[in-house]
Amino acid sequence: MIATYQSDSARLITPTMMWLFLALATVPLWIARIGLYPYLGIEILIWSIYALAFNLVLGTAGLPSFGHGAYFGIGAYAFGLCQFNVVANLWVCLAAAFVIAGLAGALVALFISHRRGIYYAFMTIAFGQIFWTVAIKSHKVTGGEDGLLKIARLPADLGFASIDLAGNVSFYYFVLLVFGVAVIAMWRLVHSPYGRVIAAIKQSETRAAHLGYNVWLYKASIFTLSAAISGFAGGLFAMAQLAAFPDVMSLHQSGYVVMMTLVGGGLVSFWGPVVGVFLFLTARDVIGALTNAWMLYFGLLFMAVVLFRPEGVAGAVAAAWQNRSLYSMRRQGGSALRLLFGGGRWR
Amino acid sequence: MALIEVEGVHVRFGDRVVLESIDLAVPEGEFHGVMGPNGAGKTTFFNVLTGRVKPSRGSIRLAGEDVTGLRPQLIAAKGVARSFQIMTLFDDFSARENIMVGLPAFRVRGFDMHRAASADSDLAEQASDILAMVGLTDRADVRAKDLSYGDRRALEIAVALGQNPRVLCLDEPTSGLGTDGVQRLSQLVSQLKRKLTIVAIEHDMEFLFSLADRISVIHWGQVIARGAPQELQQNEWVKRSNLGRFA
Amino acid sequence: MLDLLPHILNGLTLGLLFALIALGFMLIVGLMEQINLAHGSLFALGAYFAMQLMGPRPPLPQDIASAWLALPLGWRYAAALIIAPMAAGAIGIAIEFCMRRTYGKDPLYGLLLTFGAAMVIEETIRLIWGTRDYVLQVPQAINGGVLFGDLIWSTYRFYAAGISAVIIGLVWLLIEKTPFGAIVKAGAHDSEIVRALGINLTRLRLLVFVFGTMLAAIAGIIVAPIWGIRPHMGVDAVIPAFLVIVLGGVGSFWGAVVAGLLVGLAVGLSGAYASEWSLLSMYVLLVAVVTFRARGLWGKKSVLEA
Repeated sequence: MIATYQSDSARLITPTMMWLFLALATVPLWIARIGLYPYLGIEILIWSIYALAFNLVLGTAGLPSFGHGAYFGIGAYAFGLCQFNVVANLWVCLAAAFVIAGLAGALVALFISHRRGIYYAFMTIAFGQIFWTVAIKSHKVTGGEDGLLKIARLPADLGFASIDLAGNVSFYYFVLLVFGVAVIAMWRLVHSPYGRVIAAIKQSETRAAHLGYNVWLYKASIFTLSAAISGFAGGLFAMAQLAAFPDVMSLHQSGYVVMMTLVGGGLVSFWGPVVGVFLFLTARDVIGALTNAWMLYFGLLFMAVVLFRPEGVAGAVAAAWQNRSLYSMRRQGGSALRLLFGGGRWR
Repeated sequence: MALIEVEGVHVRFGDRVVLESIDLAVPEGEFHGVMGPNGAGKTTFFNVLTGRVKPSRGSIRLAGEDVTGLRPQLIAAKGVARSFQIMTLFDDFSARENIMVGLPAFRVRGFDMHRAASADSDLAEQASDILAMVGLTDRADVRAKDLSYGDRRALEIAVALGQNPRVLCLDEPTSGLGTDGVQRLSQLVSQLKRKLTIVAIEHDMEFLFSLADRISVIHWGQVIARGAPQELQQNEWVKRSNLGRFA
Repeated sequence: MLDLLPHILNGLTLGLLFALIALGFMLIVGLMEQINLAHGSLFALGAYFAMQLMGPRPPLPQDIASAWLALPLGWRYAAALIIAPMAAGAIGIAIEFCMRRTYGKDPLYGLLLTFGAAMVIEETIRLIWGTRDYVLQVPQAINGGVLFGDLIWSTYRFYAAGISAVIIGLVWLLIEKTPFGAIVKAGAHDSEIVRALGINLTRLRLLVFVFGTMLAAIAGIIVAPIWGIRPHMGVDAVIPAFLVIVLGGVGSFWGAVVAGLLVGLAVGLSGAYASEWSLLSMYVLLVAVVTFRARGLWGKKSVLEA
């Protein structure tokens, strides 16, 4: 199993990715027949990019960031504002979402990268709240609580041809393409030397420093990168919603991405965040159609996961797949969690 | 000129003086032992040497270059490697990967974000060579946390060796090892002797006295005695503080 | 300077409330090294329970209810101040029972578990009471206003600040000056000492946790007449509580109290000049402090930053 894993880590596109992309490509053909709609597929893909980017910080680097919604939201606003004030070009506006959110992330990283554990966590919350408040209060720029409306799904201009993305199906395929690129890029990233150094720092900052690594710079850079990709996803989300709203930046929504990532199993699996997003958004629509209190049930499910399957769904599946004992899997999940707060001290 | 030159190093934590006027000159290729009772300041001395603690006064020079107060990563990049008394291996990494991450060739590629780390067979080979040196070849793919205690100790040293250092700082390398383990370690260290400059904190007097060229005894934050093992056995201080009792 | 005085006073009364809100959170963080994100929800539950008890339809059998409602408002208020926290404490027991599985592991487990619990409680509140705002009645004696300078001040604010100070003082005495406090301080996170003393650790932790949740509920009842009662009040309380602890530093009692006062002052003063942005001031304060001080004002080393 280990050998397969290692050869997969060197691949550009793994078999899992191939099957996933193929399966996702068929979604618009049948999703309406099971009572759902293509827009849900768009949402799941965009949030998956966001959650994967978030997991670079939480899972790969072990940094507890609880205010990540800020960068998702900033990306959405940047996309809209670029469209209105700079140029209505898809590529420029998506690049703006990436860059502006990355700059916001870099600014925050300057203040937090020398902090650990609870202090790190709360600094991310504080900055998240600051960005959120600014978004709500700057009516003139962001539209305040009403949101930044009338954002258009710009056509994909390829030079020789221009593809209209206004319809949900064509936009779905566009997002799927972007999702594919993002997944491949992040897969490469976590298995690159850079990704391994980040994973090493998560396990012991002290040792990494004595091996000659500038721990601060790595922590700051992965946070910035994660913020930039989150912002990119936010830009797509603005297109999907045809608007940008401040509520994705709230603490609640930042908490949801943490929940999705953990329920899915982001601490032990690359795919955990995607699994979590799928479960969360599908549950929202399916259970939400039956009862208003779907968050109650999701909260109970989350508590159960934390208590009994801290490695998350992907972790449990991987355990069954690899025919390992659940006991050792739980230990693995446990140690991954422990590492979230830095070195992880035994008690 | 000595490779390591420590002059008048003081360390204070608040009101507490932990190290007081430490001087030390270690010539290239020497195995220098550091001993003393618990709480004497030995580990703090290592922390100063490797950049983890800034001295409040004094200077440290490495091959003539002033490195006082440089951050750990910069000192490490200048060829000072250390092992830890309380082991802090990368527990979720395999033994091989623990070493790979420490290789200078890996460090240079630290910001490489697109090629797979595992695809570089050159790095893997370098790591395998070092694993062979410490006798861990058949444990290469075992995760560090699943290794036995003795193997973890060996891996500690292997990681430091992987850094291809000029100076190797070992913090209580024999601690917790059985007789077999200590023997294995003695063999390894005697192979490394002369090739590397080694500074080792050690409680195992037999180990230290048989291998070290010179030994410094630290007590109450000061060097109270220094010399070749045979000289030290005659030293009043050492005798009185009951450190030379095995002799 | 004289113009500032009312704002400073306002900030200090607000600060005492923040310190009170953070008190139960601080006990659980400081003594058990666990972060209870359900703190805000228990705060809200305290307010809802008290409101339900004092309101027109108390959850009691018909004849007892009418006898209860015949009592003077002051009596009912005093009784609610005792009964509602006990009811919230019962919920606290349930959470602690779940939380036991996480002891000895990373504190993040507890944080996530209580995050889930907070969601569940808030949703349950929405189910039972809906999303509308409620008002908690208070006795005449502490209602109304006083003229202070040329500003009208609500009497209740002074009552709330005063009772906050009293509760903070009492909790400090309990922790620092009684044998019970000594055991709790020694043992809640250093299990070996307590075992060596032959004390039942499981019960001790339960006690500390329930005490913390009851303090949350009391804070909810005290603050409710000022902030109003609505489902979101839990989140509105837990964030400042968490912030006050991080600002003051984990494990420091007076650090938290001072941090509470500072946050109150920051919010009060900025509210006077830029009310739109006043809530932002506490985050700016936190960033300013934690950027330069690794453990807030007077924090101690703990597993929460290992």
